[in-house]
Order: sequence, then C-alpha cells, then structure tokens
Amino acid sequence: MSKMNIVGIVGSNAEVSYNRTLLQYIKRQFQGMFNLELVEIKDVPMFNQSDDQTDSQEIQSIHHKILQADGVIIATPEHNHTIPAALKSLLEWLSFKVHSFEEKPVMIVGASYYDQGSSRAQMHLRQILNAPGVNAIVMPGNEFLLGKVKEAFNEEGNLIDHETIVFLGSCLAKFTQFIQMVLAMEAAEQSEPEPEDLYATGKIDTTIEGVDMDADDWLEQAAEAVNAVEGNTYVKLDRGLLTVDQLNYFLSSMPMELTYADSNNQFLYYNHTLPGSEMLASRVLGQVGNPLANCHPKAAFKNVEWVIQQLRSGAVDAVRVNVPTHGPDKYVVHNYQAMHDKEGNYVGINEYILDFKPIIDWYLKQTGQTLAGGVEVDGMTGASVKEADKHVEAVSGASAKEDAVEVSVDAMSGASAKG
Amino acid sequence: MKKLIGLVGTNSTASTNRQLLQFMQQHFSERAEIELVEIKALPVFNKPESKELPESVKALAEKIEAADGVMISTPEYNHSAPAVLINALNWLSYGIYPFVDKPVMITGASYGTLGSSRAQMHLRQILDAPELKARIMPSSEFLLSHSLQAFDDENKLVSKEKIEKLEGLFEDFLTFVDIINQLNHAHEINKKEAENFSWERV
Repeated sequence: MSKMNIVGIVGSNAEVSYNRTLLQYIKRQFQGMFNLELVEIKDVPMFNQSDDQTDSQEIQSIHHKILQADGVIIATPEHNHTIPAALKSLLEWLSFKVHSFEEKPVMIVGASYYDQGSSRAQMHLRQILNAPGVNAIVMPGNEFLLGKVKEAFNEEGNLIDHETIVFLGSCLAKFTQFIQMVLAMEAAEQSEPEPEDLYATGKIDTTIEGVDMDADDWLEQAAEAVNAVEGNTYVKLDRGLLTVDQLNYFLSSMPMELTYADSNNQFLYYNHTLPGSEMLASRVLGQVGNPLANCHPKAAFKNVEWVIQQLRSGAVDAVRVNVPTHGPDKYVVHNYQAMHDKEGNYVGINEYILDFKPIIDWYLKQTGQTLAGGVEVDGMTGASVKEADKHVEAVSGASAKEDAVEVSVDAMSGASAKG
Repeated sequence: MKKLIGLVGTNSTASTNRQLLQFMQQHFSERAEIELVEIKALPVFNKPESKELPESVKALAEKIEAADGVMISTPEYNHSAPAVLINALNWLSYGIYPFVDKPVMITGASYGTLGSSRAQMHLRQILDAPELKARIMPSSEFLLSHSLQAFDDENKLVSKEKIEKLEGLFEDFLTFVDIINQLNHAHEINKKEAENFSWERV
C-alpha cells in the first residue's frame, strides 16, 4: 500500500493551541509513516438542527477530506471535563445529514496544560465517536495523553522528552496497522457473494422459455417446445453412445438419488429410483422444472443460497450435509457437487443423496474391522446433529469426526477431502 | 418565592426540552418563579486571549448569579450534551464563575427510549469541573423518553406517573436549594479558588 493519507483535526478553535502544535509536530516527525493534513475547525458554525448548514463550504470541505482519508487523528483539549464545544459542534454536523466518520479508523490524542493530559475529554470523545450517527472505528488502547504541555515542546515546536517521542511513535505505528486491519475487514465485507436468484428468474443458454416453470406437466410442455428426443433415439456422449432409454436404465440403477439443478437455479432432472414417498428425499415428477425456491421451505432459503454460493464461487467443490432424521440404521448424506463445463464455468449442481451405512458395513465386514469405541451409531449421529444445525459446520465439521470415529471416517473422509 | 432559571439546553427551534421546561414553569408557578433562558445567541467559544466576554454571556451570567437555582434540560446528541450547551458552559466558566455552588437540577428529554441518559451523565461530569463547580442535586434523574408523544395539546405532560415523579423531584430541589444555602461556609473560598484557578498553575 502506498503511503497513507491521514487527516489531523485540531480539536480547538483557539488562536493558541498546543493540540495544533502536537499535530504539526506529528506531521513533521513522522512524515515517513504517513501524510498528515491538518484541518482547522474555527470557521465551523455552531451546530443547529433547525438551521442546516451541512452544504456550507466549511463543512463540505472537512467532510470530503475525511471521506478521502485512510484515517483520522483527533487532537482534543479538555474544557470543563469534556471536549470543546467547537469540536463537539463539528462532530454533530458530520453526523447529522452526512456521516463522514462511518467506519473510519480514528485515533485520539490530546494535550493539556495540567497533568491530566485531557484524559476526561478523551474518554468522552470515545463515547461520542461510538454513537450510532458517528460510528467511527476508534483505535482501542494506545492512549496518548500529553500533560504539562507548556513544558513539553522546545522553541522549534518539537517534543523534548525522548521517551514521549518513542511512545508517540509506537502509538502512531499501531494506528497505521489498525487502519490496515480495518481495511482488510472492510474488504472481506465487500467480497460477500452475490445473492442467489432462487426463483430462477434469469435465463441461461439452455433455459426453455415460454413454459411455466411451476406447471405440473412442465416436462411434457418443455420437451415439446424443444423437440426433445426420447426412447430409442441415440445420444452421442463424450465417452460413449447410448439411447435415451439406455441413459434412463443407467441413471435409475445408480445406488443413490441424483438431482440436476442448472446454474439458473432451476431443478431439471432427478433419477427415478423409487416411488417419491420411499425416497431418501422425496421427489415427484410435477416438481421437475421448478425454480429451487419451490423445492425448499422458505426457512431453508438462507442455507440453500449459501450452498450454491460456495459452489458457484468455487470456494469448495462439494458441500456435504448429513440428515439424521432417518434413524440409526441409515447414515444419509446430501452431497452437493458443483458441475463445470470444459472451460471450468459453473453450470449447476449435481446433488446426490446417499446412505453411507451399507458401504461402511460392507467395508467393515470385508476387512474384519470394527469401529473403535463401539458406539458407532451414537458417536456418528451425535456429531452429525450439530452439522445439520448449521450449514457452516457441514463443511468444517468433517475433520472433527475423523478424530472421533476412526474407521468409519476413512470411508467418508476420502469423499470429504475434496470439500 | 424562589427564583429559578430554566436553561434550555438546545438551539433547536422545535425542542421537547424547551417544552418540558415550559411545562414546569407553568405547573410549578405557585411554588417558584421560573425564568426560561436560551443559549442560541451565544457566539462560538474560542478561548479569546483578551478574556473579553460578549454581552450575551454577561447578561446570562448575571441571571444565573441572581437565581436561587438552575434547571438545565438537555437533549442527547451523539451520547453527549449538545455542542451549543457545552458552548454556553464554556463561556460561563471563562473568567466568570456564576455556577460555583449554584444548586442545579438536570432534566432531559429524547425522542427514543433512553431519555438522554448518557447526555445527563456527561453533563454531571461537566458541571463538576473546577471552573463550574455547581452543586448538582444528587441521586435524582428525570429522563423523559419518547418525548414527541409525551405532551398533550396544552403542553401538559400526558403521563400521570411522569408528573408525580417530576413533582417529587421539584420539591426535593426546592429543599436542596435551602440545604445548599446552609452549606455556605466554604462558598467564599470555593469562589476564590475558582477565580484563581488556572490550569497553567495546577
């Protein structure tokens, strides 16, 4: 990052101010650390909510300087145990119709004639900057209180005491780190994924237009609209040639429930294994063609959206969620696998729902092993209940299980490693 | 009858704090003579080297000096008292000391739920500063929340409980004024200390 630009607000409107001297000193002494531009408040009118002067040149000028700055240092004197009226007035203007300090890193310093070094004013200033209309991000700790200020500077306006200079330098260095921390935090906020259109209102190359997605006979209507082939017609695949019938035989015999949702969040296909009511996750023919929003209860939208965002962004290739509602004889996992075209573009989700329990049992039987701890069912469902609670844990929870249930996890962790 | 000052802690044209003091002025007219004062006209305090005070400040200081007690009603701006109120107190402690040992009662009104609680806390600390040194009535708090809905068309407080609370506090304040007048042994010294007070010599 290039050298930071910081605004230094002289918190006094007095002709003579040691807080101004302090900021001028910081500007000179630490110019290698950042550029400091001093802002004066003496021309700022007294705040009055019935006489809005936000658009005045004085306030606009300070507002824009703060907006453009990486951070703000406020140097406050103490009058009557609090900050001067002139500084309070500025903060009121800058939190009334405009909000210059919103999420701006701020450091407080202060100088006073007496030994308190503006301690009470600094405390009030922190509370004021914390108010919702101001909402600055004030650096914690690193209090710089300059007491007995008349003796603190030499004739050139430089601080005399060596330890004070070193301490001030360390506070300022921490402030530049603090600014970078806030920037990183804000960058993380900005990279929030785009919201998912679960109602599939968009359109991709393969979207079939002119057919109501909600229609019970969407399949028939859509097939007709695109002259879809069926039955004995051959379809050329990238590694083979099958008829539509053969494709159906093949997919229906898969030992799992497959669901295809495209990148427009439209549910296009599921493999017909069992009647809907007997499936691990019930599906009926009428649902085909629906937007994903219609296939889930509203309460689940947030989690569905999160899963799609993870897959679309490429953050993970697969998300796995155990659904423990099938009782101890099954270990049902919903696997959401991202699908990509040859160029690597996200094209949709392959959701395969699979009961792992027979696989694990078969594996144990073949290898003559048993589950360590002998509490296979409790151990596994106990861990899984937590997962279903929160989508985040569905992904991260996988590693926790590896420690808890060694053998059974081998079978699973191979699958999870991708995720 | 005691003479009290009701200091409106804002320069806003529409103010429920002004309304509150107006209500008190009327409601307690049999108990005390309350004069409302405004602070809008005071210039921005800038610690003039000359120590020359504006006429508006001198006039306000005289009124406070002459009064038996002061009631300040403050809004809350950004968790604190408004700049314009801090400004008035800055002037009223700059080479003049009308607040030293002056009985003060704090009230406050806000549109929201908290009734200016944080501003009142700050105001107590401010009035406790060496150049102000007011005698703030302890253990009393009048927080008027949701103040836009608090008054009827005749500017009377709607809530019976609020009126009772205010009546109780006001009677206490009149007693407090009497007590403070008896606590006058240190007054001359306090005044002198404030006058001689200089941060430059602490």
